[in-house]
Amino acid sequence: MLNPVDHSPASRRDQFKAAAVGNVAGERRRKQAIIIGKERRDAVVRAKRMRRADDNDEGMMYDEPFSDKIINEETVRAVQELKFLFSSSSKDSSQKKIEALRKLRRLLSCSSNPPVASAVEAGVVPILVKCLEFGSSDEQLVEAAWSLTNIASGDSELTLAILPALPLLIAHLGERSAAPVAEQCAWAVGNVAGEGEQARDLLSSQGALLPLAKLLLLNKPMLVKTAAWALSNIIKGPSSKAAVELFKVDGLSEAIIRHLTKGDEELVVEIAWVVVYITSLAESQTKLLIKSGLLPPLVAWLSSSESLSLLTPVLRSVGNLVAGDNSNTDALLDAAKDLPGGLFGCLVRCLGSEHRTLQKEAAWTVSNIVAGSLQHKQLVFGSRVVPTLLHLLATSTFDVRKEAAFALGNLSVMPAGESQLPQPIMEHLSMLVERGCLPGFINLVKSPDLEASRLGLQFLELVLRGLPNGQGSKLVEKEEGLAALEVLEYHDNDDLRSMANELIDKYYGEDYGLEEEYGPGIAEVVRGGEEYPSWRKGWVVNS
Amino acid sequence: MELDEPKSQSQEERSRPPIADSAFIFPVWRATRRKHLPDSIFFASGNLERELLAKQVVLEITDEEKLRISCLEEEKQWRMQCPVVGCKAKLNGLQELETHFFTRHTAVCSVCSRVFPTTRLLDLHICESHDSFFQAKVARGHPMFKCLVDGCEAKFLNDASRHQHLVDKHKFPRSYEFHRKRHLSQKQRQRLHKHQGKAKPQDGASASQENDNICESKEGVLQEESAMEVEALTSAVSKLNTGDFLPSNVSFGRRHSRAFAFSAPRGRGRHKSKLNAG
Repeated sequence: MLNPVDHSPASRRDQFKAAAVGNVAGERRRKQAIIIGKERRDAVVRAKRMRRADDNDEGMMYDEPFSDKIINEETVRAVQELKFLFSSSSKDSSQKKIEALRKLRRLLSCSSNPPVASAVEAGVVPILVKCLEFGSSDEQLVEAAWSLTNIASGDSELTLAILPALPLLIAHLGERSAAPVAEQCAWAVGNVAGEGEQARDLLSSQGALLPLAKLLLLNKPMLVKTAAWALSNIIKGPSSKAAVELFKVDGLSEAIIRHLTKGDEELVVEIAWVVVYITSLAESQTKLLIKSGLLPPLVAWLSSSESLSLLTPVLRSVGNLVAGDNSNTDALLDAAKDLPGGLFGCLVRCLGSEHRTLQKEAAWTVSNIVAGSLQHKQLVFGSRVVPTLLHLLATSTFDVRKEAAFALGNLSVMPAGESQLPQPIMEHLSMLVERGCLPGFINLVKSPDLEASRLGLQFLELVLRGLPNGQGSKLVEKEEGLAALEVLEYHDNDDLRSMANELIDKYYGEDYGLEEEYGPGIAEVVRGGEEYPSWRKGWVVNS
Repeated sequence: MELDEPKSQSQEERSRPPIADSAFIFPVWRATRRKHLPDSIFFASGNLERELLAKQVVLEITDEEKLRISCLEEEKQWRMQCPVVGCKAKLNGLQELETHFFTRHTAVCSVCSRVFPTTRLLDLHICESHDSFFQAKVARGHPMFKCLVDGCEAKFLNDASRHQHLVDKHKFPRSYEFHRKRHLSQKQRQRLHKHQGKAKPQDGASASQENDNICESKEGVLQEESAMEVEALTSAVSKLNTGDFLPSNVSFGRRHSRAFAFSAPRGRGRHKSKLNAG
């Protein structure tokens, strides 16, 4: 239920005043967050968006104190009225039809729990389909599409109920349609696409993809924004087909980059999400975009934006790019070279953000950069990324620590050869150990998460193997790493157990600690090769 | 870093003596790229935030729920079973796991600081390693070595025969050791070598299964006896299926920072005086 926070008589009256008071309604809507209880939480996290109200809305908004029951009854009545108006026996003017449609639309936009089910049950869909006929007035088309949008913003059943309307909705996406009409139809299509993979495939096969893509070529911000959002819902995969097919539209790359560069923030956000899915799923199309100049605006936003909504898809796009190959990384480094701190400066910003998602995905991005060439590792090593990662490893939440661990570990080994044992990069490894990274990794060893534990063990192996003169063993033990290994000796996961035992056997075997207590040369004595250590005579092994 | 590391890598990578029970090769860290598909759970939190921000809604979450959610995001396995083999405890969250672990699975010997997973094993260790009364009874031929398996009442005259029991009855792997490998003194090694010359040739493994806690006066004799016993038994026992009872190369209480600290006080005192004299 819509809960305006201010219950004073004055504000309540405001709700029912005509819109001549200015943009009060719209402003109020924008300022107030809608509080939704637990039951409706699922509705929110879906990739669907209900359209609530218009800035130009006149008349009543259905609000509290109207109860659900009353609203449902009203809805059914509205549907019946529509049925009558659109039947062949009716001679009423189109104005009446539009008013009736508008009434229905308002009922369906009123709250977080609109009477969609009642409407569908009362048979509203066939009428709405009728309203979408070619030749209908724009107003009628918009109102009908709006109702369909909100019906499709609900549960699966209800969304799928509007399938009969799809062909017409898609048809009205065409270039001949008025902008508000195309926008509303795109919105409805976007909601259907948010339903799931099957719905997406259906939309693609019905030809929704190309008309939506063509809408991106236009210069109308509201329309492009909605079309981009709908498109992102369709191409998000897991199949790459749609993302690839998108580029059949001539000039799409240029349009995407143009909007990314010049659009207002809300538009950039939606376009960036389209870029996220393209960079994730369509490799050669990504290269095409890069060639057309995708990277400069992308890194510019990464460097300057303060908005979480914007940074999320931009960072993720960059992350997807560097998860590809070295040439993408090089291209990004080049594109960002004139920005303060370069590419790594941008990433440090994200690593230092207060938003955990940004930190996590930034660390992931770094981990993929340092999985590249030796030069990439050296570049990162020389930047402020490392101290930030070390800090995250020591202090942050689990998911961020894990990504930081991936990054630091990848930084410490030579690029993966073929069958050789990858060597640690001593300069990097010893510096990281010196700066206190061991406790963080040992913590991961102790984690209940198997992957994290495995990761910690692998890093310990690097340290134990890489540091000379047994320093590794001593350091790891000092930080209670040996204790952590011993704990895993009894673990019921075969992998972890074998790994831990292997490390203990190899680095904390019989000879460990002997030299400290008995001096050098003891190992040979114990093994029976020498009678006495070379430096001492008449000395006996303590048994 | 590859996460599905195949266990078989080229043998040149590792030149070390193979362990009896496994051809395990450590999956070393490899720096490899990790891609995530759009619907990967990795992106879930970002996707959720996107929807919340786009719809400008505020979820009514109680403080308790917030805590729960943040904990859930922290540790994927909120509810889990204790990972120690044989322990059936159910735990909620990392805090509980750590508490459970430190109270149940880290019994520490106050004499030699070795760590054991249960108090029962700790008790057995203390008796067998630090108790001269125990040694005395052993010397008089009482079967003092209890079976390690909780609930099994068997008792044995020495460590080696208990060990054989563990292998035979309870399917322990042969490489399992309750006591740490013993480093023999000069004298002991000499004696052993002499004995070995007579009996069948032994490999290093059997020799090192000697019980390190037999009191010194009987040391040589008992060692030879148990060495022979083990030899005879192991040759008679066919290849065993090690099963899943305990991991193959488990060795409890490895506390290497105190090498040699575990030996019987009497014996140690003896050697110390030798050292001082020498």
